[in-house]
Amino acid sequence: MISQVFILSSKGDHLIYKDFRGGAGNDIVSIFYEKVTALTGDQPPVVMNHKDIYFVHIRQGGLYWVATTTAGSSPFTITEFLNRLAALVKDYCGSLSEKSVQMNFALIYELLDEIVDYGYIQTTSSDVLKNFIQTEAVTSRPFSLFDLSNVGLFGAETQQSKVAPSSAATRPIQSSREQGGKSEIFVDVIERMTVVIGSNGLLMKADVEGEIRVKCYMPSCSEMRIGLNEEFSIGKSQLRGYGAAVRVDECSFHQAVRLDEFDSHRILRLCPSQGEQTVMQYQLSDDLPSALPFRLFPTIERDNGGSAAINVCATIPVPKGSVSLSQELSSPDQSAELKPQSRAVVWKIARFAGGTQLSALFKLEVPSLSSASMLEVGPVGLSFELPKITATGLQIRFLRLSPIQPGPSQRWVRYVTHSDSYTIRI
Amino acid sequence: MFSSHRHDDLKEMLDSNKDSLKLEAMKRIVAMIARGKNASDLFPAVVKNVACKNIEVKKLVYVYLVRYAEEQQDLALLSISTFQRGLKDPNQLIRASALRVLSSIRVTIIVPIMMLAIKEAASDMSPYVRKTAAHAIPKLYSLDPEQKDQLIEVIEKLLADKTTLVAGSVVMAFEEVCPERIDLIHKNYRKLCNLLIDVEEWGQVVIINMLTRYARTQFLNPNINEGGSGDKTFYGSDEDEDEDEEEKEKKPYVMDPDHRLLLRNTKPLLQSRNAAVVMAVAQLYFHLAPKAEVGVIAKALVRLLRSHSEVQYVVLQNVATMSIKRRGMFEPYLKSFYIRSTDPTQIKVLKLEVLTNLANETNISTILREFQTYIKSMDKDFVAATIQAIGRCATNISEVRDTCLNGLVQLLSNRDELVVAESVVVIKKLLQMQPEKHSDIIKHMAKLTDNIQVPMARASILWLIGEYCEHVPKIAPDVLRKMAKSFTNEEDIVKLQIINLAAKLYLTNSKQTKLLTQYVLNLAKYDQNYDIRDRARFIRQLIVPTEKSGALSKYAKKLFLALKPAPVLESPFKDRDHFQLGSLSHLLNAKAGGYQELPDWPEAAPDPSVRNVEVKESVRAVGTVTHRDTGALWGPQRMEGSESCSFPRAVPQRGVFLQTIAPSSALKSYELLHRITGEGLSVEYCFSRQPFSPDANMVAVQMQFTNSASSDTKNLHIEDVKLQSGMRVKEFPEIELLPAGETATAVMGIDFCDSTQAANFQLCTHTRKFFVSIQPPVGELMRPVFLTENEFKKEQGQLMGMNEITEKLTLDVKCRNEHAIVQRVTTAANLSRVPCGSDKECRFAGRTVTSGSLVLVTVATKEEGAAQLTVNCEKMVIGTMLVKDILQALTQ
Repeated sequence: MISQVFILSSKGDHLIYKDFRGGAGNDIVSIFYEKVTALTGDQPPVVMNHKDIYFVHIRQGGLYWVATTTAGSSPFTITEFLNRLAALVKDYCGSLSEKSVQMNFALIYELLDEIVDYGYIQTTSSDVLKNFIQTEAVTSRPFSLFDLSNVGLFGAETQQSKVAPSSAATRPIQSSREQGGKSEIFVDVIERMTVVIGSNGLLMKADVEGEIRVKCYMPSCSEMRIGLNEEFSIGKSQLRGYGAAVRVDECSFHQAVRLDEFDSHRILRLCPSQGEQTVMQYQLSDDLPSALPFRLFPTIERDNGGSAAINVCATIPVPKGSVSLSQELSSPDQSAELKPQSRAVVWKIARFAGGTQLSALFKLEVPSLSSASMLEVGPVGLSFELPKITATGLQIRFLRLSPIQPGPSQRWVRYVTHSDSYTIRI
Repeated sequence: MFSSHRHDDLKEMLDSNKDSLKLEAMKRIVAMIARGKNASDLFPAVVKNVACKNIEVKKLVYVYLVRYAEEQQDLALLSISTFQRGLKDPNQLIRASALRVLSSIRVTIIVPIMMLAIKEAASDMSPYVRKTAAHAIPKLYSLDPEQKDQLIEVIEKLLADKTTLVAGSVVMAFEEVCPERIDLIHKNYRKLCNLLIDVEEWGQVVIINMLTRYARTQFLNPNINEGGSGDKTFYGSDEDEDEDEEEKEKKPYVMDPDHRLLLRNTKPLLQSRNAAVVMAVAQLYFHLAPKAEVGVIAKALVRLLRSHSEVQYVVLQNVATMSIKRRGMFEPYLKSFYIRSTDPTQIKVLKLEVLTNLANETNISTILREFQTYIKSMDKDFVAATIQAIGRCATNISEVRDTCLNGLVQLLSNRDELVVAESVVVIKKLLQMQPEKHSDIIKHMAKLTDNIQVPMARASILWLIGEYCEHVPKIAPDVLRKMAKSFTNEEDIVKLQIINLAAKLYLTNSKQTKLLTQYVLNLAKYDQNYDIRDRARFIRQLIVPTEKSGALSKYAKKLFLALKPAPVLESPFKDRDHFQLGSLSHLLNAKAGGYQELPDWPEAAPDPSVRNVEVKESVRAVGTVTHRDTGALWGPQRMEGSESCSFPRAVPQRGVFLQTIAPSSALKSYELLHRITGEGLSVEYCFSRQPFSPDANMVAVQMQFTNSASSDTKNLHIEDVKLQSGMRVKEFPEIELLPAGETATAVMGIDFCDSTQAANFQLCTHTRKFFVSIQPPVGELMRPVFLTENEFKKEQGQLMGMNEITEKLTLDVKCRNEHAIVQRVTTAANLSRVPCGSDKECRFAGRTVTSGSLVLVTVATKEEGAAQLTVNCEKMVIGTMLVKDILQALTQ
């Protein structure tokens, strides 16, 4: 049961405030903001309380999404609800930002009205909601395809916020209805790698979490068929075909996906509803089919060919009290700096071509260096993005829509692998 | 002044005739509400527009009205008549919306109107309106609690509703208005269990939580024979072991079939993509399932760890609690709890907690190696937590205590004060447990005083040496000697500990240390810090006997060397499981307002017959038949069949009962197209079990079309049939016109080729196309044939070996007479009964529709519900599937 829902900007401005049950004071929003800002640390607790009121909040799109509750309802329900709400707002407004929320308050109110009734969640299914929502979304930018060169995948939560999502995939889903917008469908394969490499260079742990996400702008998309690699296999026992199998340990599908052709032909069939959804999630632990994208010895080298990586960033913890840094970097578009607060050297490589090797030599001046300070060096954390590559080797063979859509329709398939946590122990 | 001007401007726009101006004005007003500004003075101008035709304007007016009606009661009444009219509208969406807004207006005077509206809506023909009525109940209850009795009547009525749309909402109302009236649930319990998988996900959460509470009051504790063995065995309480024990004991406990039903029907929901549903099921299993079965939830919970960090945080809190009680459950997933460098601190700390709980003799070395790398982290709180975790592992697992201690001692040379301080604290705790064994560590620490510069660490070491000076009688005075030398250069906290050390040594070993102590005390006497001067004076009075020193000095030894209790290192999650898992109170570890405690199991089971419902036999079968367990790899694969709209039928009396039942009396219908996806058009189908006249090799499928939209539907027909090879479809003749509110039926034929593969096709109207599929249960792929007893035996004799499948089973309690068996078998499969001389056997025969292969079924009953099922069929796949379905029909 939810008493109030409000959305705050990171500076504490009220963007949306909706009271479902009445009886809460007006200052409740400011009380929350005071509480959340008073705390230090990288993340305040998900649940906080003030007298009898419990705040549950999440952060998405740089905004605080908060729900308050008085009675003992499950915190799972509320966090899940807030995540769904944020996803719906993103679908309907195109993107999640202070500005888009501000411009679309009427739409968000309408959404909230349909989703929650007197604090009870009614439905969060966009298929149901689209029958009720009337308000048109307001977008700040006209849609253009020019910036597709720098496509940021909507599902990828990259650690570098610099990659602005292209507006292609950040349109509101509804505009396509009236404005005759393009019939487009985006299929993204996103993989996140978690890797730990031991000090001897041996791989200690490797995990890939992947998902196939579909964002659909087709007003009435009937059926879609996504073909995966034929040699795709799940679990250890099932080996298919002869060549190198694309293997995952575990995978789960969206409820709407029909799998009758999956066993025989590795085809997913679904009728995508408008908006964004995760069609398939999969996971692979330990034995990766391809070599690791990065190795770091005293130097970092890249040993598998292919395309380029962008926004590679290595963070190297250094002894406390390091005062200065001198560096030798192998090319000019890299940079490195010493961050005394976090006692780390941050080495940034904007573009890292495939099959190449970069080296850097950092000299640190540490007063009163002892053997103990040497223990404080490492492990190195690496963050990166690899466009057009999947670590598991999963590929989309084809993407067919049936029946053939009238008018022009565009289909985009994009791949990205990025680091979740890539650690090299020293 | 300025604001009133601006409002004038808005009023003008609201009064204009143009919808666009009105819309603009309403948007600005709603923006004011959004920012928390007061817009109540506009009420008269806004309320006029409640009847506005433009739906966008109307919705914004509703937003405003609901927000301010309580403050402006008189004016709000002006809008009531509009809603009353809306309640009579032919369009169900308008009826529902009118009820929703009307019930949200918090004005006491309209309570009777609301009550009437809710009662009417509760018997509305549209389930969507009935659902809205269920939502309106708690609103009215909070406005006027005196209506409770009347509202309970409405709840009782809606609880009996068979649609999945209503089920979730009415349980929400039940939980808010009358959670104590558990008796209302009895008759609906089985229905709710069976509908559960098809209920909307948020409704599932509420129903599961309610059923958890219900089960705790109605069933017996399945773990009753184990009496808290979980607490006794701290190590090695392997699940397997427990299972073996269970089997050895012949225990009198028998699980109520309804209890089993709940566990079975919630299990597939562990695959839900809604974290709240997964957690609801997980807590249900934790609180209700027999110990050996709880393990299934671990995988689902671990899967949730891939979700947003907020969800991870809440999941880990619960996993931490569970991992104390049921450690074996999470052990296979140890690696999933390893910490990632990108995790936020609070998640890291929780993962540490889980790892510590999971540590045992076999995995401790892996865990310790992992911990070692965590200590290098830059996150100080996390490092501190890691050191504490190492300490806890060391106390729990005696084999690694020395390794841990050595590791911690090494940390003392760390340059980070926090690491050192935390290590010393943990070492201190560990040593306090068995100081006599570890004099070498104390010696080692004594040596460290030469190198360690961190004052906190020096101070802690001195305290340790002082405390255990009797274990290191030779070294302690030497340490004091060194310290006396450097006394003046030490930090204050170190100086205080030097004084303490001196005092303790003086009391135990005054021969060697008397002079040293006096030297230290003299130095302290002239220290700059008054704390140190005070301490020196106090201690001198206490330990050095003089004439003036009173009775206290006799007790000096007792004062200084009192036995200090060893600290207990245990999980902060130890006793959290008395809160219901997944609840807010559990998360906060404090009772939150409105928390309902989970009732304890009853001593003796309440009467289980209260849940019996006479006509619901077929309904019970539906829920389980429609969900096929395809293994844990895929998410819940949903087939279209869901709503259990079986026609109620009277149970025939035994005497009147005919030899062959006409199977058509028990048709199960499945949903082909839901009303919401079909935009008003809903389609249900059933296998009519009539011969399909145009082609005898086809299965007849009877479809019922209902048009609940406001406009007519035209040209209903089938297109684009997609079939596996060999399958054929005979379409039904096009339905040219289906007026609003009307129903039509049509029959189509499908040749399934004796397989249960789905027939997929498009259902087209003049405007839309819908993808639908029909998948037949195996029992529908056959038609009855009439055989004599001898023919049956002859045919059966030819279908032996590979073609015969035999299963032993225990019949359901309510299915132990001939009539019930016949009825259940013929419901599950389209077979006819074969006469039989023996009354211990029931025989059935049929032929598959396409190939005409014989299907022979025999159910032989024995003592006490034991029975044997035999199926003879030359198509082995059909035979196997049929055995499964009949088995299911007979055992529930």
